[in-house]
Amino acid sequence: MSNLLIWFWTAVIFASLAWYGFLLFYIAARGGKEIVQMTRVLRGRKEEEKFDK
Amino acid sequence: MNLTPIDWTIIVVYLAGCMTAGSWMRRFVHGVEDFAIAGREMDVNLGIASLAATELGLVTIMYTAQLGFTKGFAGATIGVIMAAAMFFVGRTGFIIGPLRAAGVMTIPELFERRFSKRVRWFAGLFVVLGGVLNMGIFLRLGGEFLVHATGLPPGYLEWTMTALLGAVLIYTVLGGMLSVLVTDYLQFIVMGLGIVLTSILVIGHLGWSEIVEGLSAGWAATEAGAAPERLKMAGHPFNPVHASWGYIAWQIIFQVAAVTTWQTNVARVLAAKDAHTAKRVYQRTAFYFVGRFALPGLWGAAAFVFFSKHGMPADVDSLTAMPTYLAMILPAGLIGIVIAAMLAAEMSTDSGYLLTWATVIYNDLIMPCVKRPLSAKARLFITRSLVLAIGVFLLFYGLWYQMPGNAWDYLAVTGNIYLASVFTLLVAGLYWPRANARGAMAALILGAIGPITFLVVNAGKEPANQISPEIAGFSSFALAFLGMWLGSLSKSVETKGQP
Repeated sequence: MSNLLIWFWTAVIFASLAWYGFLLFYIAARGGKEIVQMTRVLRGRKEEEKFDK
Repeated sequence: MNLTPIDWTIIVVYLAGCMTAGSWMRRFVHGVEDFAIAGREMDVNLGIASLAATELGLVTIMYTAQLGFTKGFAGATIGVIMAAAMFFVGRTGFIIGPLRAAGVMTIPELFERRFSKRVRWFAGLFVVLGGVLNMGIFLRLGGEFLVHATGLPPGYLEWTMTALLGAVLIYTVLGGMLSVLVTDYLQFIVMGLGIVLTSILVIGHLGWSEIVEGLSAGWAATEAGAAPERLKMAGHPFNPVHASWGYIAWQIIFQVAAVTTWQTNVARVLAAKDAHTAKRVYQRTAFYFVGRFALPGLWGAAAFVFFSKHGMPADVDSLTAMPTYLAMILPAGLIGIVIAAMLAAEMSTDSGYLLTWATVIYNDLIMPCVKRPLSAKARLFITRSLVLAIGVFLLFYGLWYQMPGNAWDYLAVTGNIYLASVFTLLVAGLYWPRANARGAMAALILGAIGPITFLVVNAGKEPANQISPEIAGFSSFALAFLGMWLGSLSKSVETKGQP
């Protein structure tokens, strides 16, 4: 039982480490694009508001 | 002092980057909706970064490492349960789907539509009370890490906390959720880098098999009564149900309630573009929460093994063992990255929490009492002032408060002050047509009795005679559901219908 649990926690910890490593690059790339997109939309809204006034 | 000029350079560059990016977002804030929920323009990956960064604070790292020190790998069981709860909620859309579709800014706002204005106000009060009390220990625990990891004199703890909170307040007050999202993104990257590097270094330093064998030996010594007082383990290092199933069962209910009810989680649901985006954020962030417990837990477990072998310094306990151990093994340059990562963890959590509780106070406690409509400028001013006021309150509350017992249990129980009752209101309000305002009020009051009793009764008792966290937790949920059931059935009150 104890050996099985040790294997379980070994898998959990190393999988977490791999997942954190992967997300680091994935989110850095995708999240950066989304920030640019979000600021474009917000800037567009501001200009629309000015135009409406 | 453990830091070299290279380390200081890394830390200063990181802080300058965060402050610049956070303050820059101010230009996009035109109203409370932009300030509180980023104009509902948050997409999936930014949502993942923000949710993960906010929920992985320095306080989290400290208490999960403490769990690793006292309970070994089994201390990460809560993370596994939390990840499963988050994936389940993301997959099914349980609560978060209809909540986002309702288009509200906070949870209590939904309660006015479903129950009454009074229920909204009281729920808002419970949300703020539970949330701010919960956040009260963040600064002290964060300061403890920095003092032990950097070798700063302990007398500098208060000044470190003040400076850190001051920096967070500047960009949060200026840019609200927009600044929080952008700084969370930067902090997610710095924090992830620090966590990965530290974990690899810890495994490399001791070796995997030595960590496993050291934990087994520690447990054997504890069972035989041969372990020194500060190195006694609180539970089996690999088997989470060795001592009690009750704690695990409580955690399952608690985590489902936390991921659907905790306002800082829900703030990301409400800032998402739509319900589908919110569900995807939850599904994709779920596994991150395993590492949130497992990786700092690994550092704590490694500290336990290291100090078991080499002796524990006199002024170190289970909470400060991990930063003390890291300060011993991290080389120059790397410790700068790790400190920057931990600052990132602290700052992202503080900013997210400050904003969330300020939004609830503004939206659910102040606005329902205002008779005349306020200008957009005045509303924004009130929300910004509230962020500042909560920051100042936390500084003083966080300095003098003495944490009772295990940090995680304290966080869980103070969070329970509102989790049990607000979760009950959400479930009944969204899925039980007979739920009414009377039942909602009964659930709010009864759901708070368990955690408040825990805090009051345990304050004057020896640890062995205190009420256990699972008993207080279970009783809160049971009482809240009982209150909702009896209250709703006791009198047929006209309700407002589904939101």
